[in-house]
Amino acid sequence: MLATLVAQPSGGVVAGAALAPGLAVGGLDYVPQLLNYFVNGLVFSAIIVLGGIGLSLVYSIADFANFAHGDTMTVGAYAGLVTLGAVGTAGPQLLALPLGFYAALLAGIAAAAVVAVATHYFIYRPLDTDSIGLLITSIGVAFVYRAVVQLQFGTDFTEYDVAVLRPVPWIEAATGITITEHELAIVLVAAVLVAALHVVLQYTTLGRTMRATADNEDLAKVSGIRTERVITSMWVIGAGLAGAGGVFLGLYNQLGPRMGFDLLLVIFAAVILGGIGSVYGAMLGGVVIGMVNRLTPVLSDVGLPIEPAYANAIAFVIMVFVLLVRPTGIAGEGVS
Amino acid sequence: MVAVTDTVLDVDSVDSGYGDVQVLDDLSMRLESEEIVCLIGPNGAGKSTVLKTVFGLLTPWKGSVTFRGEDITGAEPADLVRSGMGYVPQIENVFGSMTVDENLRMGGVSRESGLAETIDRLYDRFDILDDKRSAKASTLSGGQRQVLAFARALMTEPDVLLIDEPSAGLAPSIVDDVFDNVQTVNDLGTAIMMVEQNAVEGLSIADRGYVLDQGTVRFEDDADALLDNPEVGQLYLGG
Repeated sequence: MLATLVAQPSGGVVAGAALAPGLAVGGLDYVPQLLNYFVNGLVFSAIIVLGGIGLSLVYSIADFANFAHGDTMTVGAYAGLVTLGAVGTAGPQLLALPLGFYAALLAGIAAAAVVAVATHYFIYRPLDTDSIGLLITSIGVAFVYRAVVQLQFGTDFTEYDVAVLRPVPWIEAATGITITEHELAIVLVAAVLVAALHVVLQYTTLGRTMRATADNEDLAKVSGIRTERVITSMWVIGAGLAGAGGVFLGLYNQLGPRMGFDLLLVIFAAVILGGIGSVYGAMLGGVVIGMVNRLTPVLSDVGLPIEPAYANAIAFVIMVFVLLVRPTGIAGEGVS
Repeated sequence: MVAVTDTVLDVDSVDSGYGDVQVLDDLSMRLESEEIVCLIGPNGAGKSTVLKTVFGLLTPWKGSVTFRGEDITGAEPADLVRSGMGYVPQIENVFGSMTVDENLRMGGVSRESGLAETIDRLYDRFDILDDKRSAKASTLSGGQRQVLAFARALMTEPDVLLIDEPSAGLAPSIVDDVFDNVQTVNDLGTAIMMVEQNAVEGLSIADRGYVLDQGTVRFEDDADALLDNPEVGQLYLGG
């Protein structure tokens, strides 16, 4: 299930891949194909990064591995579905997406944030338990999120009511790269969100207090930082980005109650690879894992008997090797 | 000797500890305005626990803590900072992943105005910080970190400063500088309650001292008198 859902290439690349067998791997003709894998990897990476940031933030500030994070993405995706249904797809379009879709994106962000903050206040905080207790609790929370989505929407896959697109013709003509406007939108919006997060983290008081709380919560408190507010903000930002990731995952593949959970292991791999607890590590790890995931077809193109269905397994193997060499992850600074 | 005027901090019959483990046992002590009080005693006596309990990192099981006449028992650290109290922990007392400048900003997070001016004043006073503004705190030496920890706590210009073992792990030459800083801050009007393993040096800059043992006060006197007390000398000052 995981492999089929996650490794399913988008329509544009399927068209590209159909050309592959006739091409000589290593020759100049193969370059557009390779570029296509990279571009597809970039799109997939954008979704992983949006999910990974929140996972990393929760780990560093609330101090636990949040197994409900994937299902938080699902919540965002379905909130987007409801909103798109209510707002409709009429009106002007941006990157072949109706304004209603952008409203759905905002709704997905808001719903995921509200659900996560409510979970924090009604479940995680009153429990007042340690990291392991919270981790186990979050598994239960994940089941609850998923069950509620399933009760409401059933177990069938569904899709956003936006037209399936052909690749942008002029990009394909000029470079041979097949990318749809929807995929462009995913990458661009993700880039804007990541850039905005960077500005917040580095140049605002909220961001500095978040970093301070992640660094040393007791010292943050004795410095006068209201850490409870910081933790609430962290949930809003982390879950909000996950909600956006969920909506994009729905646009990229389709929606199903397990969509977020099925992606969670890949996101964990990305966050651990980048250095758990480091937001920038999560971004870097997300790009690496997303790329590796989508570059897997290269292996069969060069004649190795490893099919794209093994994309996730290969990503994990790479994670294991990186951790063997650098146990703190790429950007991790070690456990203090 | 500074003229003693009134009690700013009053710890009254406090029991406190970690989880089920009691550390402080019916402990009482006070801090007068403008004085330096030094807490000494063997490891495990509860010296650091006193500071953590006063500063709201631990909640007293019994007894009360009063700050300038107001009951602050169990108050949040973030509120105590806003009411004029500061705290320098013994270990992990800087944000290692953040720059010196950011550490100072975090110290001044509760300030409503004058942040930049206060940071500039601290840079004027502590040259080593001025040279390292954009260095990450984790790259500083032990002595530099201690100065940064101290400066961070001074960002709010507190009336009362709690300092936990400022000399811990520092080379003897740097220890003198640290104590000089403590004294300078005190001269500018901040009352200081300091825990110090290095009892003789700590008492030598203090007005009064408390000797703690097993979570309670064994001796309480002017610092000079404690230094001269043969019993204290034999039991707690290593000779």
